[in-house]
Amino acid sequence: MPNALDWSILWRPPYGEQVADAILLTFQIAALSWVLAMLLGTLVGLARESPLAPVRALAGAHVELFRNIPVLVQLFFIYYVLPRLLPPALRRELFDLGWEMVAAVLALSLYSSAKIAEHVRAGLNTVSRQVKQGALATGLTWWQAQRHVVLPLLLRVIAPSLTSEFVTIFKGSSLAMTVGVTETAYVTQEIGSDTFHWIEANSLGTLVYLTCAWVIAAAMSLIERWTFVPGLMRRERG
Amino acid sequence: MQHLAADLAALLPALLVYNVRMTLSAIAIALPIACVFAAARLSPSRLIHAPTTAYVNLLRSLPLVMIMFWTYTVGPMITGRPNSAYVSALAALAAFEVAYFTEIIRAGLQSVGIGQRNAGLASGLTAPQVTARIILPQAVRRMAPSLLTQGLIAFQDSTIASIISVPDILQTTNVINAREQDPILLYSLLAGVYFVICYALSQAARRLERRRNRRLSLAATA
Repeated sequence: MPNALDWSILWRPPYGEQVADAILLTFQIAALSWVLAMLLGTLVGLARESPLAPVRALAGAHVELFRNIPVLVQLFFIYYVLPRLLPPALRRELFDLGWEMVAAVLALSLYSSAKIAEHVRAGLNTVSRQVKQGALATGLTWWQAQRHVVLPLLLRVIAPSLTSEFVTIFKGSSLAMTVGVTETAYVTQEIGSDTFHWIEANSLGTLVYLTCAWVIAAAMSLIERWTFVPGLMRRERG
Repeated sequence: MQHLAADLAALLPALLVYNVRMTLSAIAIALPIACVFAAARLSPSRLIHAPTTAYVNLLRSLPLVMIMFWTYTVGPMITGRPNSAYVSALAALAAFEVAYFTEIIRAGLQSVGIGQRNAGLASGLTAPQVTARIILPQAVRRMAPSLLTQGLIAFQDSTIASIISVPDILQTTNVINAREQDPILLYSLLAGVYFVICYALSQAARRLERRRNRRLSLAATA
């Protein structure tokens, strides 16, 4: 490309402000989706071990459905199909309210909740029956045993997989660009196609995602170190 | 019903020609490279393992669409040839999968205990013989389910190529929907096709894993 590199394009008007907003949006999508996915995923994961067969079946269906359809396909499905179930007047309202953002968060949370549910289930198996029975034997009720003994152990065991899931959600937030959310990947492409300064634009996007992934990994490894239980887990070196 | 047949007749070829072909090609390109990278990751020499580790960490921290932007827009500046959306997407997907496959293969190799290697050497086999006859057969069996699962993720990720205008199954669905305004049928069909394929293959991966676990527990008790 004939263009000489011009990095200032990234912070000069008109793009500087868009870049800042875009990064903020990326954070919002990722954070919202993560919270929702954690809540839903933990719930579904626990439900897969429920004593009630219909609950187990429903949770199983949730996992299989949402992890066997590409997240981008889920996003388009949610974005285009769900509004069709509403009357046209309400539909317009929905799009005015920022449906593309809601659809992106929904798709990301549902897809990730299926994977988190699997981690939770796998983690439940590592908390041994003796520990659960021991907790009950000390006089705790079932709920207290879950809350004070099983869950704290479980969360520590699955913390590494949750880290990678969080990074995946962060990366996945870039797909929101396809329905018109002006987050980082969207603005990257916009700057590139407007100015042909592709190298600068791509570098910006790359830097944002890299920094975020590394900050998440570093933060989670700190948390893992603080909450480490000797004897329960083997520390793995990456 | 007629619509359904016509839509399927448009979607399935796009799936085969773009998504399936791209996934299989990316796997074919990425697997051999990942084997070399995994060996490099395990090398005691810093000069060899540091660059591959950096590559793996870098590529796994980026969204696939970001890598596609690079290959699609900056690739032609380097090669000097006009860009093809399909080739750019394939290159990005392959580069991306190299990072994930490398980690799976490395974990598989490391899961075979050092005792196995020592025992092999003690029995008089040479080091390459130990690797080929003792380590690899066990490692391959252990990593097969993860590799299959990762291949399925690559197949799902191939829809991201639609963002750089590869006419894959998702892009085709969007084009037909723009014309026919029938999102309920079209996107249900799209999701259905993907679900059936991925569900069937993920069940196969699970069976593979269960068989492996049975074999491992038999070996442990023997």
